Amino acid sequence: MSSVAETVFRLLFKYRPVVFERGELAFGAPWPAWVLVVAGIVALALAAVPYALTRGDLRRMDRVVLASLRLGAFALLAFCLSRPMLVVATVVPQQNFLGVLLDDSRSMQIADDGRTRGAVLAELFGSEAAVVRALGEKFKLRFFRFSEMVERVNGPEELEFTGRRTDLGNALDGARRALSGVPLAGLVVVTDGAENAGGALDETVLRLQADGVPLHLVGLGKERFAKELEVTRVEAPRDVLAGSSVAVDVTLTHTGMSGERVTVSVEDAGRIVGTSEVELPREGETATARVHFTVEEPGARTFRVVVPKRPDELIGENNSREMLMVVNDRRERILYFEGEPRFEVKFLRRALDGDEQVHVVTLLRTAENKYLRLDVEDSTEVAGGFPKTRQELFAYRGLILGSIEASFFTHDQLRMIADFVSQRGGGLLVLGGRQAYAEGGYGETPLADVLPVVLDGRADSSRFYADVQVELTPFGRSHPITQLGTTPAASEERWRTLPALSTVNPITRVKPGASTLLRGREDVGDPFVVLAYQRYGRGRAVAFPVQDSWLWQMHADIPLEDQSHERFWQQLLRWLVSEVRDHVTVVTSTDRAERGQAVTVTAQVVDSGYVERNGAEVVATIVDPTGAARDVPMEWIVERDGEYVVSFTPTRDGRHEIHVTARERGVTAGTATAYLDVADLNSEFYGAHMRRGALERLAEATGGRFYTPPTLGTLPEDVSFTESGATVREERSLWDMPIVFLLLVGLIGAEWALRRKRGLA
Amino acid sequence: MPSMTPRFALAAISALALAGIVGANLSRAARPAQGARVGSVPDTGPPAQTHAFFFARAAYSGFGRGEFGSWATDYPKADIQFLIGLKRLTNIDAYEGDRAVRLDDPDIRRYPFLYAVEVGRMALTDPEIAGLRDYLLAGGFLVVDDFWGTREWANFEFNIRRVLPEYPIVELPMDHPLLRTFYQIDEVVQVPNIWQGRRGGPTWERDGFVPHLRGIFDERGRMLVFISWNSDLGDAWEWAEDPFYPIQFSNHAYRLGVNLVIYGMSR
Repeated sequence: MSSVAETVFRLLFKYRPVVFERGELAFGAPWPAWVLVVAGIVALALAAVPYALTRGDLRRMDRVVLASLRLGAFALLAFCLSRPMLVVATVVPQQNFLGVLLDDSRSMQIADDGRTRGAVLAELFGSEAAVVRALGEKFKLRFFRFSEMVERVNGPEELEFTGRRTDLGNALDGARRALSGVPLAGLVVVTDGAENAGGALDETVLRLQADGVPLHLVGLGKERFAKELEVTRVEAPRDVLAGSSVAVDVTLTHTGMSGERVTVSVEDAGRIVGTSEVELPREGETATARVHFTVEEPGARTFRVVVPKRPDELIGENNSREMLMVVNDRRERILYFEGEPRFEVKFLRRALDGDEQVHVVTLLRTAENKYLRLDVEDSTEVAGGFPKTRQELFAYRGLILGSIEASFFTHDQLRMIADFVSQRGGGLLVLGGRQAYAEGGYGETPLADVLPVVLDGRADSSRFYADVQVELTPFGRSHPITQLGTTPAASEERWRTLPALSTVNPITRVKPGASTLLRGREDVGDPFVVLAYQRYGRGRAVAFPVQDSWLWQMHADIPLEDQSHERFWQQLLRWLVSEVRDHVTVVTSTDRAERGQAVTVTAQVVDSGYVERNGAEVVATIVDPTGAARDVPMEWIVERDGEYVVSFTPTRDGRHEIHVTARERGVTAGTATAYLDVADLNSEFYGAHMRRGALERLAEATGGRFYTPPTLGTLPEDVSFTESGATVREERSLWDMPIVFLLLVGLIGAEWALRRKRGLA
Repeated sequence: MPSMTPRFALAAISALALAGIVGANLSRAARPAQGARVGSVPDTGPPAQTHAFFFARAAYSGFGRGEFGSWATDYPKADIQFLIGLKRLTNIDAYEGDRAVRLDDPDIRRYPFLYAVEVGRMALTDPEIAGLRDYLLAGGFLVVDDFWGTREWANFEFNIRRVLPEYPIVELPMDHPLLRTFYQIDEVVQVPNIWQGRRGGPTWERDGFVPHLRGIFDERGRMLVFISWNSDLGDAWEWAEDPFYPIQFSNHAYRLGVNLVIYGMSR
């Protein structure tokens, strides 16, 4: 209720609305009930009978109205004579404690209107402040400062406003504990925002509700900045192969900047590696910018996403965010099985020639039961043709199938390929060819389920052939596989000018849930699917049903220095194996944390056949920035097979390494490493506007109220109406409310005026 | 088109002519020899990817006789005969017809395997040099065959140096993967032309007594050009069905030819 409305209410009803909210209506008249019944009948008679008996040309309606007005006046008199009152519980002066929690976090340094929130707090809650004096008359005040911790202080003079986070749940729990042995009338929290430490605030609120402790929130700061831009979220793959093209999605929110264009940059050690421009949408909507860049140097690397701060922006700290990315330099092994000699073999191999990270082992069937093995590691590798055991196949992280008919494989082998994707989590890529897809007889095999495309086949058994002018789909435009240029615009231009390919597999439909990156241009021919993928179980299946991508290298329109073909294949195969799991995989709940913030480490453990193991002995060795290591055992969580967790709280800033080792029966099943950066994350400057809605809900949930500096004057009185702590019942009479007098005068006046108009007075 | 035999009858004339050509080429640096021509190139159909493999015959400028240039020696029978064998011996989806393509035709880039014969009579024009160079650097593979002796070598070397001046020509070791790609080839057999083969020898022509397998590799070790010098694979394919042509020669020619195609499609 606005302060004007509240003042008017108080003039009419004698008390503030909060008294009516908290109080219970009661009557203090000593008469028994039958007296009231008799008085009522008499009043009815006095009101109705004279008007019923009056002669003249009074209309029936006039009689009713006049009688009602008189009856109303009698009823009001009866109400007053009944001694109406409100019974409210109020605190016994100086018998109760009131906790006052003051936000000591860094966001209190923000100067919304030239004055910092901290300065406003110091003025409102200083020892000489009116509110504090008024509260001090009724309560014993206990001040606390809070940010990521909570601590008793004597007053706002001791606040420094340097806390890195606001952990409201922890603060409330801490204050409750400190005041647990005393009668507590409530808690007053003076803050600019809600929780940003990710703690369990809900449980704290439930405890306060159970104890009946009201929470009064005082919100400081602006609810909306005139102009402000914030990097709200950054989404990027955590684990990539060196040399991969990476797409980072940056979510921006803003106020007052609709329609403006901003440039989002990604920096690696101060060097800009990628940029993207985005137009900011309407206020309230988020903008997403996708920034592409190529990661080269291996190791756990910190990238910074930045949007330049405008001069008229209040906060600059929220214009950037950092992210941790592990750039691997391991060699990913992919098996390419091709059923017939084709130039795809030569040019695919050449595209990856010299690639340190992607190693393609080629098994080429050159004639019936005759194979050519290329780039094998030793004389035994695929010596017996296509792998016949899961162990042999699952040693690879990716599988490329060329023009090889389904009948070449046994049913077990086909099942094994499907399991390679679904269970092992490997990447499967199927190329086009006269013996691939429906033309290769895959329609009724387990691979038909795995593939992202619908294998229709054709009723006509003649050999199909069509040229395909490839174009990007809207989804493909921003995918890391299809980035052929240094900028998205250059990439799109390159795709527009690449020569046409051909297909002998007329595939036009993808399955629900599959994503299409490339397709044939409709104005040139049928919109054939050229590149599509879907997740299948734990892995990915990619369809590339064209037969001559080598033309992107050889065609006369392609300049010799052009790297489109090489880049396409390198990016496609890197992406194909980018999320393939190892025997042990480990992730942390966050890759960047504040000191003192709990971090959960989750490990997945599978055996050599990629079946989850629940009985393994899993240990996380946490190495802090000083090099000190400690082992913590990880526990299997019963809800999910093969998943083990442990939580820890870092106490030092810097890079932490978490090495996880899984052992079974004394034999090491696998190891994995995750990284965690502990640093000052500037959390306080994100979402730094005053969050009125959240604070109001919190107050409402606990029976308290929400205030801003202008409405703070009523806090002392409001706080005193409480059920919590040592209270007394206070009676507040209602008969003398101005509204009663005004109503009485109004009723009698209206009756008299109507009588006069009808000639009765 | 007939084979250009009997060569022995023309040996002296050829030698003299070649000496003139080489001399003229050397003196005129990068300019083509006068009188060199491609001749007629039959229209063998539009460029297409309807099959995985086309046996493309390089139609280059040279000193040939009659309507066709020297490039057309043994053409198209050798090509077609070889393709019949290739399809029978391997599972390559090969187009069974012949395909001739000029070196200065952009469509040459659709045929990453290229076969050239009688390169001792080659006299490439500037557009052909540019076309062949780009073809090879983009990933094309050229097989040259059927040229004999030091003078023809000199002419070929002169021409190919203009195409790829930066890469040396090296002798192929017998353990080179090309010789094991499909068939295991343990010796370099001198394959004679049809006339000498039928007659039972000698297998050499001019002063080309010893057959050589040579290659031109780029800085990454990729073979761009395969050179079969002092040997005539083309005649062995062309006359493979001839009962008087010794089977060991056509056998070797097919083995090497199949290895070349599979090597060219996979390396």
